[in-house]
Amino acid sequence: MSNQIRFELSRALVLTGFILYIPANFLPVMTITITGAVEPLTVMGGVWELYDTGLAPVALVVFLASIVVPLLKLSIMAWILSLHGSAALRQRRMALHGFLMRIGTWAMIDIFLLSVLTAVGQLGILASVVPETGALFYAAMLLSTVFATDVYKPWLIWQERGFQTT
Amino acid sequence: MDSATGGSLDLSEVWLACPRCRADCRDRDLRSGEFLLCSRCGSEVKSSKGGRTSILAAWAFSTTALLLMLLANSQPILKFDVAGNSQENLIATGVEALWDFGYGPLAALVGFSAIAAPALYLLSAWYVSAACILRLRWPWRRFFFRMAMNLESWNLMPVFAVACVVSVVKLRTLGSVTWEPGAVWVALLAVFTLLTIQSFDRRHVMVDLEENP
Repeated sequence: MSNQIRFELSRALVLTGFILYIPANFLPVMTITITGAVEPLTVMGGVWELYDTGLAPVALVVFLASIVVPLLKLSIMAWILSLHGSAALRQRRMALHGFLMRIGTWAMIDIFLLSVLTAVGQLGILASVVPETGALFYAAMLLSTVFATDVYKPWLIWQERGFQTT
Repeated sequence: MDSATGGSLDLSEVWLACPRCRADCRDRDLRSGEFLLCSRCGSEVKSSKGGRTSILAAWAFSTTALLLMLLANSQPILKFDVAGNSQENLIATGVEALWDFGYGPLAALVGFSAIAAPALYLLSAWYVSAACILRLRWPWRRFFFRMAMNLESWNLMPVFAVACVVSVVKLRTLGSVTWEPGAVWVALLAVFTLLTIQSFDRRHVMVDLEENP
Protein backbone atom coordinates (compact mmCIF):
# COMPACT_ATOMS: atom_id res chain seq x y z
CA MET A 1 0.00 0.00 0.00
CA SER A 2 1.47 3.36 -0.96
CA ASN A 3 1.87 6.09 1.64
CA GLN A 4 -0.63 8.36 -0.08
CA ILE A 5 -3.26 5.60 -0.12
CA ARG A 6 -2.63 4.90 3.58
CA PHE A 7 -3.19 8.58 4.36
CA GLU A 8 -6.35 8.85 2.28
CA LEU A 9 -7.77 5.57 3.56
CA SER A 10 -7.19 6.63 7.14
CA ARG A 11 -8.87 9.98 6.50
CA ALA A 12 -11.88 8.25 4.92
CA LEU A 13 -12.13 5.85 7.88
CA VAL A 14 -12.02 8.69 10.42
CA LEU A 15 -14.84 10.44 8.58
CA THR A 16 -16.84 7.19 8.43
CA GLY A 17 -16.22 6.73 12.14
CA PHE A 18 -17.56 10.19 12.98
CA ILE A 19 -20.70 9.59 10.91
CA LEU A 20 -21.30 6.13 12.43
CA TYR A 21 -20.69 7.45 15.93
CA ILE A 22 -24.09 9.18 15.84
CA PRO A 23 -26.37 6.17 15.13
CA ALA A 24 -24.09 3.99 17.27
CA ASN A 25 -24.83 6.15 20.29
CA PHE A 26 -28.43 7.15 19.67
CA LEU A 27 -29.94 3.86 18.53
CA PRO A 28 -30.50 1.17 21.17
CA VAL A 29 -27.89 -1.60 21.18
CA MET A 30 -30.03 -4.07 23.07
CA THR A 31 -33.45 -4.65 24.55
CA ILE A 32 -33.65 -6.10 28.01
CA THR A 33 -36.93 -7.67 29.11
CA ILE A 34 -37.44 -8.51 32.77
CA THR A 35 -40.76 -10.03 33.75
CA GLY A 36 -42.66 -8.27 31.01
CA ALA A 37 -41.01 -4.86 31.30
CA VAL A 38 -39.36 -4.11 27.96
CA GLU A 39 -36.45 -1.72 28.08
CA PRO A 40 -34.42 -0.64 25.05
CA LEU A 41 -30.92 0.48 26.03
CA THR A 42 -28.44 2.70 24.23
CA VAL A 43 -24.74 2.51 25.12
CA MET A 44 -25.11 5.51 27.40
CA GLY A 45 -28.32 4.03 28.85
CA GLY A 46 -26.34 0.96 29.84
CA VAL A 47 -23.82 3.15 31.63
CA TRP A 48 -26.59 5.00 33.54
CA GLU A 49 -28.14 1.69 34.52
CA LEU A 50 -24.85 0.48 35.96
CA TYR A 51 -24.48 3.77 37.80
CA ASP A 52 -27.97 3.44 39.28
CA THR A 53 -27.17 -0.07 40.50
CA GLY A 54 -24.69 1.65 42.77
CA LEU A 55 -21.56 0.53 40.96
CA ALA A 56 -20.02 3.81 39.95
CA PRO A 57 -16.50 2.39 39.26
CA VAL A 58 -17.85 -0.24 36.85
CA ALA A 59 -20.04 2.39 35.19
CA LEU A 60 -16.98 4.61 34.81
CA VAL A 61 -14.95 1.83 33.15
CA VAL A 62 -17.72 1.15 30.64
CA PHE A 63 -18.24 4.88 30.05
CA LEU A 64 -14.55 5.45 29.36
CA ALA A 65 -14.10 2.36 27.20
CA SER A 66 -17.24 2.60 25.11
CA ILE A 67 -17.99 6.31 24.79
CA VAL A 68 -14.84 8.30 25.54
CA VAL A 69 -12.26 6.02 23.85
CA PRO A 70 -13.90 5.97 20.38
CA LEU A 71 -14.50 9.75 20.38
CA LEU A 72 -10.97 10.41 21.62
CA LYS A 73 -9.54 8.14 18.95
CA LEU A 74 -11.50 9.82 16.17
CA SER A 75 -10.65 13.35 17.34
CA ILE A 76 -6.95 12.69 17.90
CA MET A 77 -6.68 10.82 14.58
CA ALA A 78 -8.39 13.73 12.79
CA TRP A 79 -5.86 16.11 14.36
CA ILE A 80 -2.89 13.89 13.43
CA LEU A 81 -4.14 13.60 9.86
CA SER A 82 -4.73 17.34 9.57
CA LEU A 83 -1.01 17.87 10.21
CA HIS A 84 0.07 15.20 7.69
CA GLY A 85 3.06 16.45 5.70
CA SER A 86 3.85 19.36 8.02
CA ALA A 87 6.80 19.46 10.38
CA ALA A 88 4.86 20.74 13.38
CA LEU A 89 4.57 18.80 16.64
CA ARG A 90 5.92 15.54 15.26
CA GLN A 91 7.01 14.22 18.65
CA ARG A 92 3.59 14.90 20.13
CA ARG A 93 1.88 13.22 17.16
CA MET A 94 4.12 10.14 17.57
CA ALA A 95 3.31 9.92 21.29
CA LEU A 96 -0.43 10.28 20.71
CA HIS A 97 -0.41 7.71 17.92
CA GLY A 98 1.29 5.24 20.26
CA PHE A 99 -1.30 6.01 22.91
CA LEU A 100 -4.15 5.39 20.44
CA MET A 101 -2.68 2.03 19.44
CA ARG A 102 -2.62 1.01 23.09
CA ILE A 103 -6.16 2.03 24.02
CA GLY A 104 -7.37 0.97 20.57
CA THR A 105 -9.50 -2.07 21.12
CA TRP A 106 -10.97 -1.37 24.56
CA ALA A 107 -14.21 -0.23 22.95
CA MET A 108 -14.80 -3.90 22.09
CA ILE A 109 -15.95 -4.24 25.69
CA ASP A 110 -19.47 -3.30 24.64
CA ILE A 111 -19.65 -5.92 21.91
CA PHE A 112 -18.38 -8.60 24.30
CA LEU A 113 -20.83 -7.45 26.94
CA LEU A 114 -23.63 -7.79 24.42
CA SER A 115 -22.51 -11.29 23.48
CA VAL A 116 -22.36 -12.48 27.10
CA LEU A 117 -25.71 -10.88 27.93
CA THR A 118 -27.55 -12.29 24.89
CA ALA A 119 -26.10 -15.71 25.60
CA VAL A 120 -27.31 -15.71 29.18
CA GLY A 121 -30.58 -13.87 28.85
CA GLN A 122 -32.45 -16.61 27.04
CA LEU A 123 -34.68 -17.92 29.77
CA GLY A 124 -38.03 -17.61 28.10
CA ILE A 125 -40.36 -14.79 29.05
CA LEU A 126 -38.81 -14.19 32.46
CA ALA A 127 -35.70 -12.45 31.25
CA SER A 128 -34.32 -11.94 27.79
CA VAL A 129 -31.70 -9.81 26.14
CA VAL A 130 -32.00 -9.14 22.43
CA PRO A 131 -29.42 -7.29 20.30
CA GLU A 132 -30.66 -4.27 18.32
CA THR A 133 -29.54 -2.47 15.15
CA GLY A 134 -27.49 0.08 17.10
CA ALA A 135 -25.01 -2.70 17.88
CA LEU A 136 -24.21 -3.10 14.17
CA PHE A 137 -23.52 0.63 13.83
CA TYR A 138 -21.46 0.48 16.99
CA ALA A 139 -19.35 -2.42 15.69
CA ALA A 140 -18.85 -0.71 12.33
CA MET A 141 -17.82 2.54 14.05
CA LEU A 142 -15.40 0.64 16.25
CA LEU A 143 -13.77 -1.16 13.32
CA SER A 144 -13.39 2.16 11.46
CA THR A 145 -11.52 3.68 14.39
CA VAL A 146 -9.28 0.60 14.79
CA PHE A 147 -8.35 0.45 11.10
CA ALA A 148 -7.97 4.24 10.79
CA THR A 149 -5.24 4.16 13.44
CA ASP A 150 -3.71 0.96 12.13
CA VAL A 151 -3.47 1.95 8.48
CA TYR A 152 -1.75 5.29 9.22
CA LYS A 153 1.70 4.06 10.23
CA PRO A 154 3.73 6.27 12.58
CA TRP A 155 6.51 6.78 10.02
CA LEU A 156 4.06 8.68 7.81
CA ILE A 157 4.22 11.45 10.42
CA TRP A 158 7.82 12.05 9.31
CA GLN A 159 7.01 12.18 5.64
CA GLU A 160 7.88 15.50 4.01
CA ARG A 161 5.27 17.28 1.93
CA GLY A 162 7.58 17.20 -1.10
CA PHE A 163 7.40 13.42 -1.23
CA GLN A 164 3.65 13.39 -1.52
CA THR A 165 2.15 12.62 -4.87
CA THR A 166 -1.26 14.06 -5.47
CA MET B 1 28.32 -15.10 14.28
CA ASP B 2 29.06 -15.42 10.63
CA SER B 3 28.78 -12.39 8.42
CA ALA B 4 29.85 -13.55 5.01
CA THR B 5 26.80 -13.44 2.80
CA GLY B 6 25.78 -10.69 0.43
CA GLY B 7 26.18 -6.93 0.28
CA SER B 8 22.69 -6.15 1.48
CA LEU B 9 23.24 -8.09 4.66
CA ASP B 10 26.44 -6.13 5.36
CA LEU B 11 24.53 -2.89 5.08
CA SER B 12 21.89 -4.02 7.56
CA GLU B 13 24.64 -4.74 10.02
CA VAL B 14 25.64 -1.09 10.08
CA TRP B 15 22.24 0.57 9.83
CA LEU B 16 19.08 -0.34 11.65
CA ALA B 17 15.69 1.06 10.69
CA CYS B 18 13.74 2.50 13.59
CA PRO B 19 10.66 0.30 14.01
CA ARG B 20 8.37 3.31 14.51
CA CYS B 21 9.57 6.16 12.31
CA ARG B 22 11.81 4.22 9.90
CA ALA B 23 14.77 6.56 10.34
CA ASP B 24 18.17 4.92 9.73
CA CYS B 25 20.05 4.52 12.98
CA ARG B 26 23.65 3.49 13.30
CA ASP B 27 23.97 0.03 14.82
CA ARG B 28 26.53 -0.79 17.48
CA ASP B 29 27.18 -3.50 20.05
CA LEU B 30 25.55 -2.91 23.39
CA ARG B 31 26.81 -3.66 26.85
CA SER B 32 24.32 -5.05 29.33
CA GLY B 33 21.74 -2.52 30.46
CA GLU B 34 22.22 -0.32 27.39
CA PHE B 35 19.62 0.73 24.83
CA LEU B 36 19.91 2.14 21.37
CA LEU B 37 17.38 4.94 20.91
CA CYS B 38 16.27 6.41 17.62
CA SER B 39 17.86 9.85 17.29
CA ARG B 40 14.81 11.20 15.50
CA CYS B 41 11.78 9.96 17.42
CA GLY B 42 13.30 8.50 20.59
CA SER B 43 11.85 4.98 20.21
CA GLU B 44 13.91 2.01 21.31
CA VAL B 45 15.71 0.57 18.28
CA LYS B 46 17.73 -2.10 20.03
CA SER B 47 18.14 -3.27 23.60
CA SER B 48 20.58 -5.46 25.44
CA LYS B 49 17.64 -6.98 27.27
CA GLY B 50 15.48 -9.68 25.72
CA GLY B 51 17.06 -12.08 23.27
CA ARG B 52 17.10 -15.82 23.85
CA THR B 53 16.00 -15.82 27.49
CA SER B 54 13.03 -13.73 26.60
CA ILE B 55 12.05 -16.03 23.71
CA LEU B 56 12.36 -18.98 26.06
CA ALA B 57 9.94 -17.21 28.41
CA ALA B 58 7.60 -16.49 25.49
CA TRP B 59 7.64 -20.20 24.63
CA ALA B 60 6.76 -21.17 28.20
CA PHE B 61 4.06 -18.48 28.52
CA SER B 62 2.47 -19.36 25.19
CA THR B 63 2.42 -23.08 26.07
CA THR B 64 0.63 -22.24 29.33
CA ALA B 65 -1.72 -19.85 27.57
CA LEU B 66 -2.64 -22.46 24.93
CA LEU B 67 -3.57 -24.96 27.64
CA LEU B 68 -5.58 -22.27 29.43
CA MET B 69 -7.26 -21.47 26.12
CA LEU B 70 -8.57 -25.05 25.91
CA LEU B 71 -9.89 -24.86 29.47
CA ALA B 72 -11.38 -21.38 29.05
CA ASN B 73 -13.28 -22.44 25.95
CA SER B 74 -14.53 -25.78 27.20
CA GLN B 75 -15.81 -24.79 30.64
CA PRO B 76 -18.71 -22.44 31.41
CA ILE B 77 -17.80 -18.93 32.58
CA LEU B 78 -20.97 -18.11 34.43
CA LYS B 79 -24.29 -19.52 35.43
CA PHE B 80 -27.48 -17.52 35.41
CA ASP B 81 -30.60 -18.33 37.40
CA VAL B 82 -34.08 -16.90 37.07
CA ALA B 83 -36.94 -18.47 39.00
CA GLY B 84 -35.55 -21.97 38.93
CA ASN B 85 -34.41 -21.91 35.29
CA SER B 86 -30.68 -21.90 35.00
CA GLN B 87 -28.27 -21.60 32.12
CA GLU B 88 -24.53 -21.93 31.88
CA ASN B 89 -22.57 -20.20 29.21
CA LEU B 90 -19.31 -20.54 27.37
CA ILE B 91 -17.46 -17.96 25.26
CA ALA B 92 -18.89 -19.66 22.18
CA THR B 93 -22.48 -19.46 23.50
CA GLY B 94 -22.37 -15.71 22.98
CA VAL B 95 -21.28 -16.13 19.38
CA GLU B 96 -24.05 -18.65 18.81
CA ALA B 97 -26.72 -16.41 20.41
CA LEU B 98 -25.75 -13.42 18.25
CA TRP B 99 -25.86 -15.65 15.17
CA ASP B 100 -29.31 -16.98 16.10
CA PHE B 101 -30.69 -13.46 16.40
CA GLY B 102 -29.56 -12.74 12.85
CA TYR B 103 -26.56 -10.62 13.80
CA GLY B 104 -24.03 -12.54 11.71
CA PRO B 105 -21.44 -9.73 11.47
CA LEU B 106 -21.43 -9.31 15.26
CA ALA B 107 -21.15 -13.07 15.77
CA ALA B 108 -18.19 -13.12 13.39
CA LEU B 109 -16.54 -10.17 15.15
CA VAL B 110 -16.88 -11.75 18.59
CA GLY B 111 -15.84 -15.19 17.32
CA PHE B 112 -12.80 -13.70 15.65
CA SER B 113 -11.64 -11.44 18.46
CA ALA B 114 -12.48 -13.63 21.46
CA ILE B 115 -11.64 -17.07 20.07
CA ALA B 116 -9.93 -17.20 16.68
CA ALA B 117 -7.45 -14.29 16.96
CA PRO B 118 -6.12 -15.19 20.45
CA ALA B 119 -5.80 -18.85 19.46
CA LEU B 120 -4.00 -18.08 16.19
CA TYR B 121 -1.76 -15.55 17.89
CA LEU B 122 -0.73 -17.98 20.61
CA LEU B 123 -0.21 -20.83 18.14
CA SER B 124 1.99 -18.66 15.90
CA ALA B 125 3.98 -17.26 18.83
CA TRP B 126 4.41 -20.79 20.20
CA TYR B 127 5.55 -22.18 16.85
CA VAL B 128 8.03 -19.41 16.13
CA SER B 129 9.54 -19.31 19.64
CA ALA B 130 9.78 -23.11 19.85
CA ALA B 131 11.64 -23.22 16.51
CA CYS B 132 13.91 -20.41 17.66
CA ILE B 133 14.78 -22.05 20.99
CA LEU B 134 15.23 -25.57 19.61
CA ARG B 135 17.15 -24.16 16.64
CA LEU B 136 14.91 -26.03 14.26
CA ARG B 137 14.23 -24.86 10.74
CA TRP B 138 10.54 -25.56 10.75
CA PRO B 139 8.72 -24.49 7.59
CA TRP B 140 6.47 -21.41 7.36
CA ARG B 141 8.19 -19.65 10.28
CA ARG B 142 8.17 -16.30 8.48
CA PHE B 143 4.49 -16.66 7.72
CA PHE B 144 3.65 -17.46 11.35
CA PHE B 145 5.88 -14.66 12.59
CA ARG B 146 4.05 -12.16 10.41
CA MET B 147 0.72 -13.56 11.54
CA ALA B 148 1.71 -13.17 15.20
CA MET B 149 2.72 -9.55 14.57
CA ASN B 150 -0.54 -8.75 12.78
CA LEU B 151 -2.74 -10.39 15.38
CA GLU B 152 -0.95 -8.94 18.39
CA SER B 153 -3.28 -5.97 18.69
CA TRP B 154 -6.32 -8.24 18.23
CA ASN B 155 -5.58 -10.08 21.40
CA LEU B 156 -8.65 -9.08 23.29
CA MET B 157 -8.69 -11.53 26.20
CA PRO B 158 -8.15 -8.80 28.85
CA VAL B 159 -11.03 -6.81 27.37
CA PHE B 160 -13.17 -9.94 27.34
CA ALA B 161 -12.33 -10.65 30.99
CA VAL B 162 -13.43 -7.13 32.01
CA ALA B 163 -16.59 -7.49 29.90
CA CYS B 164 -17.42 -10.66 31.87
CA VAL B 165 -17.12 -8.78 35.16
CA VAL B 166 -19.39 -6.01 33.88
CA SER B 167 -21.94 -8.50 32.56
CA VAL B 168 -22.11 -10.22 35.96
CA VAL B 169 -22.79 -6.85 37.58
CA LYS B 170 -25.52 -6.22 35.04
CA LEU B 171 -27.09 -9.66 35.33
CA ARG B 172 -27.40 -9.27 39.10
CA THR B 173 -30.34 -6.97 38.42
CA LEU B 174 -32.08 -9.67 36.40
CA GLY B 175 -31.51 -12.78 38.46
CA SER B 176 -28.83 -14.60 40.36
CA VAL B 177 -25.44 -15.08 38.77
CA THR B 178 -22.62 -17.33 39.88
CA TRP B 179 -19.09 -17.51 38.57
CA GLU B 180 -18.06 -20.86 37.14
CA PRO B 181 -14.50 -22.28 36.87
CA GLY B 182 -14.23 -21.03 33.27
CA ALA B 183 -13.99 -17.47 34.61
CA VAL B 184 -10.73 -18.28 36.38
CA TRP B 185 -9.30 -19.73 33.16
CA VAL B 186 -10.37 -16.64 31.20
CA ALA B 187 -8.65 -14.36 33.73
CA LEU B 188 -5.47 -16.45 33.74
CA LEU B 189 -5.54 -16.64 29.94
CA ALA B 190 -5.70 -12.84 29.80
CA VAL B 191 -2.64 -12.62 32.06
CA PHE B 192 -0.62 -15.23 30.18
CA THR B 193 -1.37 -13.76 26.75
CA LEU B 194 -0.14 -10.39 28.02
CA LEU B 195 3.01 -12.08 29.34
CA THR B 196 3.52 -13.79 25.97
CA ILE B 197 3.19 -10.49 24.10
CA GLN B 198 5.52 -8.83 26.61
CA SER B 199 8.30 -11.41 26.26
CA PHE B 200 8.02 -12.21 22.55
CA ASP B 201 11.12 -10.31 21.40
CA ARG B 202 10.51 -9.62 17.72
CA ARG B 203 13.99 -8.27 17.08
CA HIS B 204 15.60 -11.47 18.27
CA VAL B 205 13.24 -13.60 16.19
CA MET B 206 13.89 -11.46 13.13
CA VAL B 207 17.65 -11.86 13.57
CA ASP B 208 17.18 -15.60 14.04
CA LEU B 209 15.10 -15.83 10.85
CA GLU B 210 17.84 -13.99 8.95
CA GLU B 211 20.57 -16.25 10.23
CA ASN B 212 18.75 -19.57 9.82
CA PRO B 213 16.54 -19.20 6.79
